[in-house]
Amino acid sequence: MNQGSRELQVWLDDLLAEIEQVEMRRKRERRMRLDVDADALPTLLELLKGKASYVHLSAITCVDWIAEGEFELIYHVWSYETQSLISAHTRIPREPGRYLSVYDLYKPAAFFERDIYEMFGVYFEGSPFMEKFILTEWDGPPPMRKDFDSEAYINQFFNWQEYRPDWLKELEAQGGGIAIPPDEQRYSRRED
Amino acid sequence: MKELPVRTEGAFAKRTNPLAHVFDEFVRFCRSHSLFMLHYCTGCGAIELPPAMTSRFDMERLGIQPMVTPRQADILLVTGYVSVKTLKRIILTYEQMPAPKYVIGICSCTVNGGMYWQSYATAKVLADYLPVDLYIAGCMPRPEAVVSGMRKLMGLIKTGKAESWKDYYRRYDHYLGNQQALFGERWQTPTDVLGEAQQYGLHGPETEGEHTALLQQVQQPLIPHRMRLK
Amino acid sequence: MMALIVELVLMPAVAFVVGLAMLLMMRKIAAKIQRRVGPPFFQPLYDVVKFFGKQTQISHGLIHDVGIIVAVGGYIAAETLIPVPGMTGIADRTDVITLIYFLMVPSLGMALAAGQCANPNASIGISRALTAMLAYDIPFVIVIFGMSWMYGTTNLVQMVEYQQAHGWGLFQAPLLAFAGLFALQGMLGKQPFEIYVAPAEIATGPMVEMGGKYLGSLIVMQSFSLYTAGILYTTLFLGGGVTWIDFLVKAFLVVAIPMTIAFQFPRYRAEQMLGSLWKWPVLAGLLGLAVVMWS
Repeated sequence: MNQGSRELQVWLDDLLAEIEQVEMRRKRERRMRLDVDADALPTLLELLKGKASYVHLSAITCVDWIAEGEFELIYHVWSYETQSLISAHTRIPREPGRYLSVYDLYKPAAFFERDIYEMFGVYFEGSPFMEKFILTEWDGPPPMRKDFDSEAYINQFFNWQEYRPDWLKELEAQGGGIAIPPDEQRYSRRED
Repeated sequence: MKELPVRTEGAFAKRTNPLAHVFDEFVRFCRSHSLFMLHYCTGCGAIELPPAMTSRFDMERLGIQPMVTPRQADILLVTGYVSVKTLKRIILTYEQMPAPKYVIGICSCTVNGGMYWQSYATAKVLADYLPVDLYIAGCMPRPEAVVSGMRKLMGLIKTGKAESWKDYYRRYDHYLGNQQALFGERWQTPTDVLGEAQQYGLHGPETEGEHTALLQQVQQPLIPHRMRLK
Repeated sequence: MMALIVELVLMPAVAFVVGLAMLLMMRKIAAKIQRRVGPPFFQPLYDVVKFFGKQTQISHGLIHDVGIIVAVGGYIAAETLIPVPGMTGIADRTDVITLIYFLMVPSLGMALAAGQCANPNASIGISRALTAMLAYDIPFVIVIFGMSWMYGTTNLVQMVEYQQAHGWGLFQAPLLAFAGLFALQGMLGKQPFEIYVAPAEIATGPMVEMGGKYLGSLIVMQSFSLYTAGILYTTLFLGGGVTWIDFLVKAFLVVAIPMTIAFQFPRYRAEQMLGSLWKWPVLAGLLGLAVVMWS
């Protein structure tokens, strides 16, 4: 880091330490974690982009905290000048599941918001195109939510291969076979 | 009275005229020794095909060559997991291939879901939607396994047992039913499968049923895209 | 009269068989260069039988069929115009200029058929194929003109007789022979001038919608084209052949050289192909022409 960017980093640290709504944790030399309220996040991103040179939006992530009834949205922004990453975390209530879009700040946000809308059901107001592009043949619930049971869904909609076919009988005649029977393999939803 | 010799048709007498099926056998032999596979890499298993085609495990000595369009190919290789989106395109590709055509399901994901069995977006059993001739299990199968599977397919073709494309026409209602259950009721393809079944003489009692009736209700004529240069 | 009709039927038949052998040689050379075992001996025959034994023929209309017939028919007609040992067909009544015209017909036939397919890949492939034909025809015509000037005749039978009396054309006009070899590489459509097939980019170009008997016919056309190119070069530069043995040896050798070069090169783009086919072979051809005309 050259002199200018180090000054920038120091200035940013001081500024963020002063603001009370932002909780700052510096994880490593180039990683910082900020926690803000949902209504303060767009202002924070505008500050970071406009004044602190964090012009690149790397990703928007969504985490489903079903026990607390909240979605957590994480905005990862990167700065070319200081070569460091800031993750801005915010929580929104799970029930309406709507939030504001940051498309006018960062253009790539449209892509990530479309993805999160498909997978989690969080609607971003102001995002330009919210059509489906990954799950075009899907009309069930948003699949990444924790209350979506994938295994129950597939047991309802798909058939399984008949498990005593000819090729298995041939293998067993030659001395091979299945080591673990299929009922013991599906341990993900066992009640223990 | 002299005992007249009685000649019975035993199990060893396959045909009375030794020249009866020579041409069919010759054509089957030529088909088995010149297979063109469609290099349509559906999933991650496709990475095992270039090693099988290049210098070390040469597949051209068996007569197998990669071809790029379904119109020119004999084998449709479904390599790897089949997501619902891909399955639509695989069925469209399969119906475009000229008969006789063979489907090989490479990797365990086509057998019973494989590594992605818990996923909501992959099809578990490929044989529900397309007739499959041969499976080559593995994750991924080594090139030696792929070559051995191809040789088994060549043996099946030579003896005349690789006739699964006829099964598609004979039981089209069953396959269409599974396809409609997965893709919705408005699923249609540009190919006129019933007309082709009539053409080949494979139109049987199980070709039409409730699912083909539903298809004929919702079928709409396809509008060709207008090509514009802009 | 009867002998003529027998020759007219026999010459394309021989061309088909020898062409299949040349196809095999091409694949074997490719395999040996790439350090692998190639296909077995009868592989082109298996391919042709399999294609014609397909039970589905997908046709796009009458012009599609007619185009393929024109493409193969052009080569069949061209076979009867080149003298081979023992049979001259109608080569003694026509000349090499008619042969040049006949050799343009197959590309046009394929363009007809591919145009009827209405596939954009096919249209791109055909436009590239016709561009390639424009590219290699210029050095090819210069070579034909030069050799006709040197031999003093355009009749192929008389050219062969002249060479058997005075020595091979290869030694008398080496620059023209070099230009002819370059143009041969373009005529056979092999790398680096293989832009019109381009399997991975435009899905084999003109052959994209052809399966079954159409593709079988195109493979037959490719075997004819290898044979015709080989024996035309042999007739022009290597003195024809007195018996079938040395004639075929020369023809196979002539075809083997572009094949060996081909599998070591990638593919040129269309404008690069035009540039290279209009530069070196044309320069060599014009120089050779100058040498021939002033000596």
